[in-house]
Amino acid sequence: MESTQFGSRPTAGAVGGQAAVDEVDLTPVRTYWQLARQRFLQHSLAVFGLIVMAILVTAAIVIPLLTGDLYQKTSLSLANHGSSLLNPFAPLGYDSIGENIFIRLMKALQTSLFVGFSAVGIIVVVGITAGAIAGYVGGALDNLLMRFVDLVLSLPSFFIIVMMVALFGTGNAYVVIIAIGIVGWTTAARLVRAEFLSLRETDFVQAARALGASDARIVVRHMLPAALAPVVVAATLGIADSVVVEATLSFLGFGISPPAASLGNMLTNAQEYFFRQPILILYPGVTLVLVVLAASFMGDGLRDALDPRQRVKS
Amino acid sequence: MTVAADQPLLQIQDLRTYFETQDGTVKAVDGVSYAIRDGQTVGVVGESGCGKSITALSVMRLIEEPGQIVGGTIKLRGRNLLDVDESEMRDTRGNTISMIFQEPMTSLNPVFTCGDQIAEAVSLHEAVDRRAAMDRAVEMLGLVGIPDPARRAKQYPHELSGGMRQRVMIAMALSTNPELLIADEPTTALDVTIQAQILELMKGLRERNRMAIMLITHDLGVIAEMADHVVVMYAGKVVEQADVMTVFAQPHHPYSRGLLASIPRLGVRHQRLEVIEGVVPNPLNLPAGCLFKRRCRYAMPVCDSPPPLQEVAPGHLSRCWLTPAGEPPTIGPDATGDVAAAAAAQLAVQP
Repeated sequence: MESTQFGSRPTAGAVGGQAAVDEVDLTPVRTYWQLARQRFLQHSLAVFGLIVMAILVTAAIVIPLLTGDLYQKTSLSLANHGSSLLNPFAPLGYDSIGENIFIRLMKALQTSLFVGFSAVGIIVVVGITAGAIAGYVGGALDNLLMRFVDLVLSLPSFFIIVMMVALFGTGNAYVVIIAIGIVGWTTAARLVRAEFLSLRETDFVQAARALGASDARIVVRHMLPAALAPVVVAATLGIADSVVVEATLSFLGFGISPPAASLGNMLTNAQEYFFRQPILILYPGVTLVLVVLAASFMGDGLRDALDPRQRVKS
Repeated sequence: MTVAADQPLLQIQDLRTYFETQDGTVKAVDGVSYAIRDGQTVGVVGESGCGKSITALSVMRLIEEPGQIVGGTIKLRGRNLLDVDESEMRDTRGNTISMIFQEPMTSLNPVFTCGDQIAEAVSLHEAVDRRAAMDRAVEMLGLVGIPDPARRAKQYPHELSGGMRQRVMIAMALSTNPELLIADEPTTALDVTIQAQILELMKGLRERNRMAIMLITHDLGVIAEMADHVVVMYAGKVVEQADVMTVFAQPHHPYSRGLLASIPRLGVRHQRLEVIEGVVPNPLNLPAGCLFKRRCRYAMPVCDSPPPLQEVAPGHLSRCWLTPAGEPPTIGPDATGDVAAAAAAQLAVQP
């Protein structure tokens, strides 16, 4: 129902009692992000993921900061010292060369998260740029870009990553990040292109053009925000993927190698002592699983939260 | 009626916009000419696909592939818009000429608040800061009759009804004080009471801003309500053109007459409403001569030759062989070929 007739605008401030207040006006204005936050918070797994991720990120930043170089300090007298909750400085004990496992684990987590987030950063930037150009310009350029995407997708991605790391420097975290980014941007590009193809035909893009907006402005101001939701979801899920890829690389000895710490090379280390100290494999293993699960749950929650068609349950 | 010295705000001359399709060329707009003067409201009527929206989009230069403007001129204050470069055209769009669309439900960007979108329109054409642009947005929302504009400005399009959204669209289009507003079926998607409100609003704003309106519609009621001058289009051509009183009182072209006869009237007892028999010709396969002849009850052999756009009364143009009095042409109903062509050339006028 239309709330007012033309020409009968209510006086400012609706003076003269509450009875005159339009019933529609009683509903609070909630922005898109407020609604999205509300939907996200109703998703219990997502909230769990967020809390776990927040704890992991905080720990991965704070603890290495406080302990400095300690993660690579060896001490043969402490080698294979078992875990002891009574020792707050080394709750998980020491490994075969006397490194403090807890501190090392936190440093490894930092490395893995850094690689994961940075790789996703590359994926998102490259993917959005390529997808937006392909989807907006269309025609031959679209064809060219998308066939290139097909080409990249058709290559065995892990092999490419291993090859790049082997060529450009084993043990360098930046090479790992770039390698993951280079093979990973294709999905984001396809998502953005698909969104842009449909957005390009919408009335509001036509309306923006009729208002005199330039192409760049239409893409950045009008289309990108509307195309962002699936990218945010893909990026969150991509963090999990990237962390796993990094761990795999390091496990195989192509990624980050000791004395630098990563979840993957800690796993390699622990593998040697699998029969004597099986618990060693659990620490990096559980941490890895927590990171991946937290990112996946957050991704699922975001997917639901960012869909404006989903209603907020009251 | 026409004073030679005064230049119209918009002069469309022999505009041709064609679409290249796999099956051939569709002449969506084929030699359309009409003018819009300052402050004048020109109603463009015709059924779906007759080229009225394509004419409007051509004026905005928003025709997309595979469409192309292949001929004619569109003069805004004497300057041919088809010659200016894209950046100047962008300055014109939304500034001198604004456009509102048929579908208020989808013409607003769902991820921005209404206020943001109007502020965006303002900041595209004026060097104002965000605060000032937002203030203007709120002012415009108030102007288009939206209650509590400051609050509405913070709302998203999906929180507003269709009528409200069309008001937002109008606010956006008018935020830069355009000289010409192109309204492409502004009320078609709205229910009847809201339609009346929106038309009232547009009338009020027309007086206030002294702007000209190109009103595209297939609703003759809207034309009667709003327009000063009427252009009737059929299959990409202008078939009749006159001031609004003339078109309603003395329509000349059989198509216009058919349209008017097909409207139910209060107080007149009809057994059945009149219909125009047949359908619009396939744009890929237009008949030779008069495009309306297959549906026309007055069709004569001479109609196989293209009829001239002739002046049947001062300021009243009609693309039909019938004489101003509605008789068969003086060259005779059976005249064809060169005779008809010569007669057409003699009768034809340039509007």
